Amino acid sequence: MAGDYSLDGLAVPASLEELHELLERVGTEHPQVAAEDLMMLETALVEVAANVIDHGRPAGSVLWTVRLAVRDDRLECLLSDTAQPADVDLGAASLPEDPESEHGRGLVLARAALDRLEHVRVAGGNVWRLVRLRR
Amino acid sequence: MEFSTSEQPGAVVVHCRGRLNMVAAPRLKELLSSTVESGGQRVVVDLTGTDFVDSSGLGALVGGLKRCRQAGGDLRIAGAGQQVLTVLSLTNLDRVLRPYADVAAAVDGW
Repeated sequence: MAGDYSLDGLAVPASLEELHELLERVGTEHPQVAAEDLMMLETALVEVAANVIDHGRPAGSVLWTVRLAVRDDRLECLLSDTAQPADVDLGAASLPEDPESEHGRGLVLARAALDRLEHVRVAGGNVWRLVRLRR
Repeated sequence: MEFSTSEQPGAVVVHCRGRLNMVAAPRLKELLSSTVESGGQRVVVDLTGTDFVDSSGLGALVGGLKRCRQAGGDLRIAGAGQQVLTVLSLTNLDRVLRPYADVAAAVDGW
């Protein structure tokens, strides 16, 4: 299928650069996709990836596969990781009560940048589904 | 991400070029702390060359702001592009870190 991308990597901070480069490549190869839609997906994907890096166990040896599809109506990204099942309630994520907190905004930001963010525990890991409808 | 600093009358400017993500955020936080420790109470973080910021980058900016205020100073951000402005807005942090158009506007009347 045209417009499909796939990337494998180790869930460590240095791998984030590959995600940024992937989004850059999608933008170059799909100039018709609005820059804002790509920017929002990139923002959300980096937050989800950072969450896997921070909380995925065993730390430092979790692998991920990122698949990205460009469709007429949406950008869709699946991040599958090999971490232990994540205990996360995306619906309950909210901004920190202390407006000057230095942490705790990542998943809220990811959700706000997307139209749909889902997390499913699967055998051997987690799947994160990110959907940004094209404006 | 590359950092550099320059002096403006009454303020130290920290220039950030590249992507401010979880790799760069701890380095920025450390740089802002050492800037305050060296006597720079008023700090402008110049984001003109910052292509991307994530929540850890926002955390570093908020941490720097608190550090400056503890020292009796303040921190302002300048030159943020569309992605940074959007992220600030989506997290309501534009109320805590008001974006200035550029470094000149940030230091004006400070």
